[in-house]
Amino acid sequence: MTNAASSLYTESARTKKRNSAERRFKAYGLAAIGAGLFFLVVLLWQIIGNGAGAFLQTRLSLPIALDTAAIEKAEGSMMKTSGYNKLIVAGLEGAMEAQGIKAVLDKKAAKALLSSGAPNTLRQFVLKNPDKLGQTVTLSLAGSSRLDGYLKGRVTRDSIADDKAIRPEHLDLADALQGAGLLRKSFNWGFITGNDASDLRPEQSGMGQSVLGSLAMMLVVLAVCLPVSVAASIYLEEFAPKNRLTAFIEVNISNLAAVPSIVYGILALAAFIQFGGGTMGIEAFRASAPLVGGLALSLMTLPTIIIATRAALKAVPQSIRDAALGVGASQMQAVFHHVLPLAMPGIMTGTIIGLAAALGETAPLLLIGMVAFVQTDIASASSFFTDPNVGMPAQIYIWATRADGAWYERAWGGIILLLIFLALMNAVAIFLRRKFERRW
Amino acid sequence: MLDATHPNGPQTETPVSTQSKLSAKDVNVHYGDTHAIKDVNVEIDDKTVTAFIGPSGCGKSTFLRCLNRMNDTIDICRVTGLITLDGEDIYNPKVDPVQLRAKVGMVFQKPNPFPKSIFDNVAYGPRIHGMAADKAALEQIVETALKRAALWGEVKDRLHAPGTGLSGGQQQRLCIARAVATEPEVLLMDEPCSALDPIATAQVEELIDELRQNFSVVIVTHSMQQAARVSQKTAFFHLGNLVEFGETSQIFTNPHDARTESYITGRIG
Amino acid sequence: MALTRRAATNFFAGGDMSASILLLCLAALATLGFFLGRSRALAAAEGKASDLHSRPHYYGVNAALMVLLPALALLALWSVIAPLTIKAQIAQSVPQELVAEGASLDLVMTDVRNLADGLNTAVKQGVISEAKSHSLTTDTTDIRALLGGVGVALGSDVTPEVLGLAKHYRATTRASGLWKTGLVLAAGLAGLMLAYLRTTKEFRARNSVEKTVRAVLVFAAGIAILTTIGIFLALIFNTVEFFRLYNWQDYLFGTTWQPHSGGGASQPLGLVPLLWGTLYISLIALVVAVPIGLFAAIYLAEYASARVRSTVKPLLEVLAGIPSIVYGLFALLTVGPMLMSVFGNEGLGWMQGASSVMTAGLVMGIMLIPFVSSLSDDIITAVPQALRDGSLGLGATPSETIRQVVLPAALPGIVGAVILAASRAIGETMLVVFGAGAAGKLSLNPFEAMTTVTAKIVSQLTGDADFTAPEVLVAYALGTTLFVVTLCLNVLAQIIVSKYREQYT
Repeated sequence: MTNAASSLYTESARTKKRNSAERRFKAYGLAAIGAGLFFLVVLLWQIIGNGAGAFLQTRLSLPIALDTAAIEKAEGSMMKTSGYNKLIVAGLEGAMEAQGIKAVLDKKAAKALLSSGAPNTLRQFVLKNPDKLGQTVTLSLAGSSRLDGYLKGRVTRDSIADDKAIRPEHLDLADALQGAGLLRKSFNWGFITGNDASDLRPEQSGMGQSVLGSLAMMLVVLAVCLPVSVAASIYLEEFAPKNRLTAFIEVNISNLAAVPSIVYGILALAAFIQFGGGTMGIEAFRASAPLVGGLALSLMTLPTIIIATRAALKAVPQSIRDAALGVGASQMQAVFHHVLPLAMPGIMTGTIIGLAAALGETAPLLLIGMVAFVQTDIASASSFFTDPNVGMPAQIYIWATRADGAWYERAWGGIILLLIFLALMNAVAIFLRRKFERRW
Repeated sequence: MLDATHPNGPQTETPVSTQSKLSAKDVNVHYGDTHAIKDVNVEIDDKTVTAFIGPSGCGKSTFLRCLNRMNDTIDICRVTGLITLDGEDIYNPKVDPVQLRAKVGMVFQKPNPFPKSIFDNVAYGPRIHGMAADKAALEQIVETALKRAALWGEVKDRLHAPGTGLSGGQQQRLCIARAVATEPEVLLMDEPCSALDPIATAQVEELIDELRQNFSVVIVTHSMQQAARVSQKTAFFHLGNLVEFGETSQIFTNPHDARTESYITGRIG
Repeated sequence: MALTRRAATNFFAGGDMSASILLLCLAALATLGFFLGRSRALAAAEGKASDLHSRPHYYGVNAALMVLLPALALLALWSVIAPLTIKAQIAQSVPQELVAEGASLDLVMTDVRNLADGLNTAVKQGVISEAKSHSLTTDTTDIRALLGGVGVALGSDVTPEVLGLAKHYRATTRASGLWKTGLVLAAGLAGLMLAYLRTTKEFRARNSVEKTVRAVLVFAAGIAILTTIGIFLALIFNTVEFFRLYNWQDYLFGTTWQPHSGGGASQPLGLVPLLWGTLYISLIALVVAVPIGLFAAIYLAEYASARVRSTVKPLLEVLAGIPSIVYGLFALLTVGPMLMSVFGNEGLGWMQGASSVMTAGLVMGIMLIPFVSSLSDDIITAVPQALRDGSLGLGATPSETIRQVVLPAALPGIVGAVILAASRAIGETMLVVFGAGAAGKLSLNPFEAMTTVTAKIVSQLTGDADFTAPEVLVAYALGTTLFVVTLCLNVLAQIIVSKYREQYT
């Protein structure tokens, strides 16, 4: 016995060594957790730091004289907006004069500062308020993405050295306008409600259309997955005989849950679009349709939801079934009257979490063409489920591939919106679990 | 949770003058809100088998786990009072439970061999405590331990087979060999035979009697017959109280307390 | 917009009676069946529901199901088989010379269908009458202009043969629609009659309904198998087509990947560089994720207090809930530039661009941390406490217990978890689309851009894909490769994990 004579109060050399090994080991664990949390913080910090800007938009508030003759002339020409553009430039000149800002406001400067969508904003205003013709109104018009970037710090004098669209003197003008209070950042509702915009107008793009596309897909996923997963789980959990076929189905489901999502994209492309829409001629199965996207995501999510649903059914104790059977209910009645209602909170929780995973999935959408440029007005969509659309992650993908600082900001902003939706869904799931969770 | 230090533990360093190996003074144990052990005083002598008996849930296992601070691994468990080993307070903050447990070994209710070979199971303790200078010494320790546990003859040809492949009784004797190999001064046994059949039980009981030559053994048992067979001293626990403690023969033939008598005659328990 | 409207209207108004009206009729018939069945049952029992074998509503549901099931089955079957039969029938009557002119049969068939759809639209919009649509000839009417007027653009001028086929197509489709409507309604009515006649006091309506419900449940469970078959068929058909056009050895063993459109069978479509990129990225991901995830799991399972555990675990799992496209952007815009500043041309000069194996691998590692940690956590907590007690009781420290008892016991499970993580890494798409690069390359330098199997599936199948060209069809071969590899890994992991679980239950 090595330490037989030693007192418990003194730590032997070996114990010291072993205890420091213990502390080291524990430190590795803490470091690992620290690393994980650190990555989480960096990721969230990047998302918020880069994306928050998308929710703000630089606007110029300008007094614009709605000259009746000029507007009539503009409406009569082919390029209607260019006439309106002149009115805006005139308004900007007037405002600069009133504020005593001396700078050359040539065509280039106006283009550098104002969004190319501004004339259309003005035109829509005039069409909506014909009674304002001949008066002078103060309108808040979107600034260009460069101007927006300058106010948000993304664009600097250094970064525009090779930029043809904006020059340092334009930034001086912007400084002056900001000093005069004509330029300010305000909350960008258009980002939440608007549609995608063409390559050169990031300042006018929004997530609205893709939110609707995702909503359509989630409705399809819910409509497919909830009934099918409940039915399949009830069969497997309550009725299925323990035989080879059942075992095969079970192995199958757990394997399907681990199939890469891109494979579901290939399945949807081949089965729905090429076979269903092409060979069979089903018109609703078209590329870019949320219906097809929803079906692809349903197939992908189904195994996960089935696994959650089965766990919820399994958690209902056998005694409940015995009690129902004991008073003469059939097995089917026992399941539908007692087991299923008791398992419902668990099933809903699992379904919502499955939906959240489907909401964030991108790869299958790429393959079925849900990366179309969709600019149609939300209101005029003729069919919610079959009109070409994008989903939120697909919209983020499109913006990210446009490889430009302003579009990256939009993409990060879209991520914030997507994560808010995911967080809400998870919060609902957690709420359901807390509120209805039963301990048997 | 594996281990935690005890901020609330007693902190006396004054040696308690006594001849006994282990001594407990006014020990109280709380599990959360439950008062599991109430003011227990007990003296455990060297080279003696002491049996803790009592109805299930009376706290005998809990008290046993206090003796080598296995209760440290349970978050909500709180121990107060004084427990000394050779006069040294085992709950003193200076005491490393690791060193304590090397001196006070433990054998559990269910055989729990590690998923390793028979040899590695027995060599585990000597290895972590650095007891063997070389391989030959280690082999010697393992052989001695297995012989003491009366298992050597059965396993000497398959020392490198997995320990989990043995029968239940062999597994428990392997666990005893494993505990013996670290040369503890006290061996705590928590119902070591409850998972064994009668033949295996007899083997283990015989073994306990052998072990008494070298160690102080404390055994928790729910079987009064077993206590009567193997122990010299017996403590009867009831609802967290130590009701009676004395010579085994006296407890079983002439109990002082009415509760003890009711228990051993089968009226409570 | 006009195109989508046409699509929508056609969807709801294919054939004679629109599908939605047919479904509404069936629903009405089923409702009728429910009340008839119920009332007949009650009448049979003279109003004493307790005399019946089953509760009255079961008789109603039985009748409703008898209406719906055969009718819907017939409808589904007809909708699948009829278009295929009609297509085959028309295809047979396509004159040889039409195909011989350099067009394929498929193209002719597309023309015919477009023309037929266009005529339908024209009739619906009232541009021509139904009668006129049957008597149209190419000599008297410029059909292309006519249809252009209703928003249907045809690719070429209409030949008399195609017009004839289109008319034939319309007539057959119409006839098929009429037959479908008639037969489906007849089936529904027959079901109703049968159910009505069968409803007596002794009829075991509940058993009958439950049998049907059970069949529905079995079908739902079978969808999992159908999905698998679907994946299998989708991959196999196109992969076989690819190998018809392209040498399989060149694909499997080719070490260059340089597809170009129109390249045919001679372009290099080698799997090796893509597989290498995939495995290299996955390896780096595992090197990051396994130690961090495993140690985090060990700390949470063995050391952390309940409170720390209940805070840290969900926080780590947030990393798992973040969609992979977010990690893609994080790789492209944050980690890539950060690595560039150290290893790029301004630093060590090992890195040419933000996309690289290292970029994608590191970020994928971060993404997999919670995956590894929660799987390992499950597995570590499944190790029985008795083993820990045994070790601690001998005087081992907690870390000795973990390293020498808990981890060896949990090893098979942890290996399973790592294999699952590897399968995840191999199948990950969006992250590598942004983070890894676009060119297939065989290099050992982890700071070089390489590409992966999944990234190339995306790039070959998006854009203007010609689904008969090898450079597009190769995506299906890549998909098959990916599916087979991940499936093998998953099955292997499952076998290991389930063996492990058996050991402790």
